[in-house]
Amino acid sequence: MIYSRSAFSICIKGKATTLSNEGKTRTVEEINAKIRKGDAQVLTAEEMKKLVESSGVEVAFKEVDVVTTGTFGAMCSSGAVINLGHSDPPIKIDHAWINDVEVCHPGAAVDIFIGATNMSEKQPFEYGGGHVIGDLVAGKEVELRATAYGTDCYPRTQVKTTLTKDDLNQFCLLNFRNGYQRYNCAVNSSDETIYTYMSKLLPRFRNATYSGAGELNPLMNDPDYETMGMGTRIFLGGGQGYIIGEGTQHSPKNLSGTLMVKGDAKKMTPEYLQGAAFTKYGTSLYVGLGVPIPILNMGLAKKTAIRDSEIFTDIVDYSVPRRDRPKFGQVSYKELKSGSITINGKKVRVSSLSSLKMAKKVSQTLKSWIEEGTFTLTSPVERLPTSTVFKSMRQTEEIPFVVSVMHPAVTCTEDEEIRAIAERIVTKSVNHIVVVDATGKLRGIVTSWDITRAMAEGKKALSDIESRNVITAKPDEPLEVASKRLAQHNISALPVVDIERKVLGIVTSEDVAKLLGRRY
Amino acid sequence: MGRILIRVNEEQVSEPIASQVIIEYKVPMVILSAHINSKGGEILVEIPDDTEDKIVEALRKRGVTVSVPKSIEVDSEKCFSCGSCVALCPVEAISLTSDSSVQFDKEKCLGSTCSICVDACPARAIKAVKPNGNGSQNNREKKS
Repeated sequence: MIYSRSAFSICIKGKATTLSNEGKTRTVEEINAKIRKGDAQVLTAEEMKKLVESSGVEVAFKEVDVVTTGTFGAMCSSGAVINLGHSDPPIKIDHAWINDVEVCHPGAAVDIFIGATNMSEKQPFEYGGGHVIGDLVAGKEVELRATAYGTDCYPRTQVKTTLTKDDLNQFCLLNFRNGYQRYNCAVNSSDETIYTYMSKLLPRFRNATYSGAGELNPLMNDPDYETMGMGTRIFLGGGQGYIIGEGTQHSPKNLSGTLMVKGDAKKMTPEYLQGAAFTKYGTSLYVGLGVPIPILNMGLAKKTAIRDSEIFTDIVDYSVPRRDRPKFGQVSYKELKSGSITINGKKVRVSSLSSLKMAKKVSQTLKSWIEEGTFTLTSPVERLPTSTVFKSMRQTEEIPFVVSVMHPAVTCTEDEEIRAIAERIVTKSVNHIVVVDATGKLRGIVTSWDITRAMAEGKKALSDIESRNVITAKPDEPLEVASKRLAQHNISALPVVDIERKVLGIVTSEDVAKLLGRRY
Repeated sequence: MGRILIRVNEEQVSEPIASQVIIEYKVPMVILSAHINSKGGEILVEIPDDTEDKIVEALRKRGVTVSVPKSIEVDSEKCFSCGSCVALCPVEAISLTSDSSVQFDKEKCLGSTCSICVDACPARAIKAVKPNGNGSQNNREKKS
């Protein structure tokens, strides 16, 4: 009661006072009484938007008691706490694996946490903690291996057994960051395909990916978190769960709120909890999550009418491996869901990583539970914070970037003779000559080995020996990333270029070895 | 129309083999995709069904490797319609229906010569399968 009144008083501040429903509220208790009688009016978020559009906020507030939201996406910060029960003789587990996925032992003897992103030691990148959780939920048998150092009270040092969810005491889904209010749209400006947690990004903006349900997302439909907080009962993984607080990295001022949730995984269904594999990134867990929003006041009726066209997100360049990545403007979820967006005047096809089909199914299933009276609403005992700031990591040690080790490149132009280039290699005492055009833009590269070969084979023209397909580095890349590229392509130097491919310098494997060798 | 995959090596790449076969047998070939450089490459072509046997024979006589590409199969049990494959497809063989389900058009699909969607599927629901239906390809990422 108290909660809903105070929420209302916040919400009508500064709002128009001419509405006839102004001042009217309903409480969670009143809604629950209607649910028990089978009288509650429940709409999915999708249906609510249509109603507000056709009949207005006032009618929607009068008629609707609850709006159900939903999202279904890869939520890496998910996991499960399980309790195995004691073996005989008992063991205090030190290291453990389920289906060859290392699980951690954050507590006493036989409590284990399965992290969704931990990968199988036998099938890394293909099977991981998310799949273990999915398999357990599906009723499949899994194999547990564990080792221990042995104590007087827990003498056993090894155990190996098979288990299903029925053998576990507790199997609690415990996700510390779910349901991101909105997420970036990812692109790749580089010349190579990259594999990220935003999936496969083709070179030179050939595709874009995004995540999130937009106008169906729980937090987007209650952006001031009037009805959500610790104790809010929710749809989680096909069962019932609870919000237990703000999720990690909760960033409400940036419209990027998150939820921490828990629920009894024994009662969940495999359709809404599915292990996933992202090539060259790792494993994750797709989670179905839906929050019912009680329409306590007119403000909430209006907020739940939010459309995809009003929700914007940044287009972010994932090819730059830095915390602050370059952005290419903003895009609405309406555009994202249309299948193509425009970047720098060019049409780019865009795909979702989260499933809109499943998000809708979550909101529809939650609606049917409430209509059937098997799901009642709760008022949070503490609302989600609205002012938390997501800080960056405090770093006591700086890491080197390409710019900190690169040096001026010795260059030549394509019209020069091989002999002149050979002389330059000797006088400047370098192994790499960067070929540039008249404006200083990269054309190719020649190494001392290429020159030696040209001499041996009697070749005269630079064009016969230079490499045109040059692997490059950017000045603001971490040196470690550039170093990996050297190894990956089995080469010994990278010309450093700006976005227009103008040569800024060169970084060689010697530079890298000098700096990284000292550090690692 | 049938699809065949023609592979040429470094020596054959500069020979007008496909053109010779087209002229000699007066058979139209539609090039669906081609990846060729000076070291060789592969071309996916579409030819009328009733000419397939003689064209394959003619190409093989000229020393090039001819095979039938594997087809791409989507396991509808595993697919949860995230749609991450949709924008990757170069021939728009994958689309979303009005209820946001992923729809796959096998006719348009280039088959295993493309495979761009296979390693992008988080549900691992997409696989390249031999035309006879068994012996599914292991799409596990090679570690290098």
